[in-house]
Amino acid sequence: MNAVVHAQVSSNDPIRCDRITKRYARKTVPHDVSSQTVLHDVSLVVARGTVLGLIGRNGAGKTTLIRALLGLEQPNEGRAFIFGEPSLYLSDAAKQRIGYVPQQLDAFAWMRVGDMLEFVGRQYPRWDREFVELSLARWWISPDRRLASLSPGERQRVAIIRALAVKPELLVLDEPASALDPVARRDLLREIVARAAESGTTVFLSTHIVSDLERVASRVVFLHHHRLVVDAALDELAETHARLTVAAGTVAFPANRIPGEISRRFHGDGSITLVIARTCGTDWPDIVSAPGVRLDALNLEDLFIEVAR
Amino acid sequence: MNILRMNADRLTILPGAPEPIYRQIGSQLRRLISSGQLPPGEELPSVRDVAVQHAINPMTVSRAYCQLEAEGLLTRLRGRGMVVAQGGRCVLPTEQRLARLQSELAEVARQARELNLPAHLVVQRLKSLLEDSE
Repeated sequence: MNAVVHAQVSSNDPIRCDRITKRYARKTVPHDVSSQTVLHDVSLVVARGTVLGLIGRNGAGKTTLIRALLGLEQPNEGRAFIFGEPSLYLSDAAKQRIGYVPQQLDAFAWMRVGDMLEFVGRQYPRWDREFVELSLARWWISPDRRLASLSPGERQRVAIIRALAVKPELLVLDEPASALDPVARRDLLREIVARAAESGTTVFLSTHIVSDLERVASRVVFLHHHRLVVDAALDELAETHARLTVAAGTVAFPANRIPGEISRRFHGDGSITLVIARTCGTDWPDIVSAPGVRLDALNLEDLFIEVAR
Repeated sequence: MNILRMNADRLTILPGAPEPIYRQIGSQLRRLISSGQLPPGEELPSVRDVAVQHAINPMTVSRAYCQLEAEGLLTRLRGRGMVVAQGGRCVLPTEQRLARLQSELAEVARQARELNLPAHLVVQRLKSLLEDSE
């Protein structure tokens, strides 16, 4: 089984990570040698042209995962690769193929927008100066303003312009929409979609705005309590994932985990809801048709809420 | 020659709906074709245009197009993209088109009964919705 999976994986996939675990030492208590796990055994392969949405609640480990994938953070266990190169030792050539919009945007705060973009652009052979000018104009940002004087939304836009101007083959965005208004957000989504359609750009995007992902993502992964708990092709979500509702007092329902179970919630009235998954083309376990058990399709938002609660 | 090209904004995309987006596109196109509103030879908007217009994933759009191509409703023309297939299926009679709404109408009727709404009010509201979009 594993051999088959590996045979399909091309060695220079835009993103690959094998069993990454990341722990931080607890610093709050002096002399405490215990540590806190931020990522637990995360494996992921992202094929070229995928628009992958990473969802998870605050503190689930999304930013740490992105930083580990890009080699900005060293995992305690496991390894990450970008275009087949170990993320911790990326060549300049590989770096030039990546556009990254981080969550913290405090670099170069003293510089003027135009100067910063000029400075950064010199490091990228494919830098698209025309795109930079058009985008600044479209988003009403004067190149003469200092980065420190911009609003959070404007700084986020500048970071997005900067990441897109390198004509990246891999675009990584960490909560890009957090400071954007709905119009700017739609603009960004359209730009992402246009890049994916025209150049097959691979996009890795973390967000908790589920409706955005429902539009643009081809695949969704879900980080919960530091583990990847859901990995689904969005077009097949209705086919591969479902919610089971077990009425109160259904005796026949097993207390143990059932095949494909992702989450289980117990409600005050004695009923239970579960999220279960199957691979495309296979059957649900028999228990779904037992009396007192109901199977419903669920959309991404439902899935998020069921699993993350 | 006058080439007709459908506008990407004629499609309606509902991201949160239970029906996946590729199926939403497929069923809308099927309806437009079976009613003759998209006549044979009419060009479909490019995958890119639909994707950018609605901010949706391009693979979702091409998946819908491919499915309709496999059904014989669309033909891929070199250099022109997808067009509505010639003579594949002529315009369906009213009765058959109405039959395609049967389950949706039955669902509306069921919910209307649950809400204890008089039939004439529901029909009136439906009528005004139908006239609105014309």
